[in-house]
Amino acid sequence: MTVKFGATELEPRQEEALRRAKRIEIATIAFLVCAISAVYLVMGNSQAMKAAWLEDCLSLAPPVAFLIAVRLVRRAPSARFPYGYHRAIGISHLVAGVALLTMGFFLIYDSLTGLLRAEHPPIGSVHIAGNTVWLGWLMIGVMALTIPLPIYFGRVKMKLAEELHDKVLFADADMNKADWMTAVGSIVGVAGIGLGVWWLDSAAALFIAASILSDGIKNVRHAIVDLIDSRATTFDNKSPHPLTVDVAQHLCSLEWVQSAACRVRDEGHVFHVEAFVVPIDRVAISVADLEAARDSCRELDWKIHDVVIVPVSELPPELFDLLERGAPGGESGREEHQSRGER
Amino acid sequence: MTKRGAFVAALTVAVSVLLSSCALDIPRDPNGTLDRVRGGILRVAVSHNPPFTDALGEGDPTGTEVEIVRAFAEKLDAAVEFTLGGEESLVEDMHLGKHDLLIGGLTDKSPWFDKVALTGPYLTVDDPEGTERNIVMAVPLGENDLLFELEDFLQRSKATG
Repeated sequence: MTVKFGATELEPRQEEALRRAKRIEIATIAFLVCAISAVYLVMGNSQAMKAAWLEDCLSLAPPVAFLIAVRLVRRAPSARFPYGYHRAIGISHLVAGVALLTMGFFLIYDSLTGLLRAEHPPIGSVHIAGNTVWLGWLMIGVMALTIPLPIYFGRVKMKLAEELHDKVLFADADMNKADWMTAVGSIVGVAGIGLGVWWLDSAAALFIAASILSDGIKNVRHAIVDLIDSRATTFDNKSPHPLTVDVAQHLCSLEWVQSAACRVRDEGHVFHVEAFVVPIDRVAISVADLEAARDSCRELDWKIHDVVIVPVSELPPELFDLLERGAPGGESGREEHQSRGER
Repeated sequence: MTKRGAFVAALTVAVSVLLSSCALDIPRDPNGTLDRVRGGILRVAVSHNPPFTDALGEGDPTGTEVEIVRAFAEKLDAAVEFTLGGEESLVEDMHLGKHDLLIGGLTDKSPWFDKVALTGPYLTVDDPEGTERNIVMAVPLGENDLLFELEDFLQRSKATG
């Protein structure tokens, strides 16, 4: 059975990527549940440990959001949801971004107040089999155990995010990066406490918080920009998606088309394409030509399925930028377009 | 990614070298309390709470915790200096660095946990209402070497009865 995102059939590569993504998100949740319990048991009074624990709790949001979203997006479009359920991805992306952002704000507040009040974190000991063991060693041990897996998860998710054009996975990869960085920070902090350098704990937490906060801001901004239908971008929101230009170029290359431009919005995984074409002969356009054009656009990429082709006598002015460079021009044209977009 | 991996590896090595090179004196006190107390004076704050502490009599206070603290001081080769007072004012003074140890039948439910460092419970007693109470002592916040030494002492004296 072919896996579908709404009406869009996935190619085998994407199908495989989706399967792996689901598996790795389930593995992430299982890992997080273990890590949350273990860290809670040894947490004690360390700021950085508390931060790491809270961070682990919040890291549950992106994988859960992802798993819910990929279930939803598989539903076929209906009369009530004619565009399908793809936007669930956008919403999940926002959830994941907000989780990161909250984490960052909380951490900055918590460690900054600790630093300003000059709190000296106490770390006690546990009595195990007749020996008193400093709890700091246990903290360092547990945190060290939580480093390798998030690094691995993050790397895999980043690749799958590109394959599936999935921004939730991308945000989650960022979250995993935040996870292991927090763990490293906690180790530094607890080691600092052990050495009598009380401020190292809060300072390490503050340093990590800044990086998490910036990831949070970045993801929230991208999610919001996508939800207000900005032009489609690559999975990491770094540059305009090349398919926008590819579709326009493809349509321009058809013999009955004089010029073409399109609006492409990212529905989440898949694109919704509205292509405007100015026919050479404005009187005689055949439905067959339009349908053939639509079908050939779909051939360009698996992400393109919902395509609307609108014959017009003049292209919408906001798409002129695209049009000017629309004539086949290769990479240089694409870059030029990008730089214009940045203004 | 490989860069990141190398960074983690380097950091792990650095931290473990750092830790193992001074593993013997971890944890340390930021304010060096334990080092000062050894062979010196252990400044004990006592809040009246029999049978743990009884500060009503003439002279030095008495009580089970007073005895434990004397033994602890003996182990550290330190003389004991008692200050009597109400729990809250003693906590404030300890926060200002005026005391090294606070006793008075504190429990692990103490509201002072963010002003002073509580030890782990060394004794469990039933209060008159029949609720279990875990008895703890307190040292200055963040003086983890002293905290460790005291917890170790309390656990050992519990084990030996």
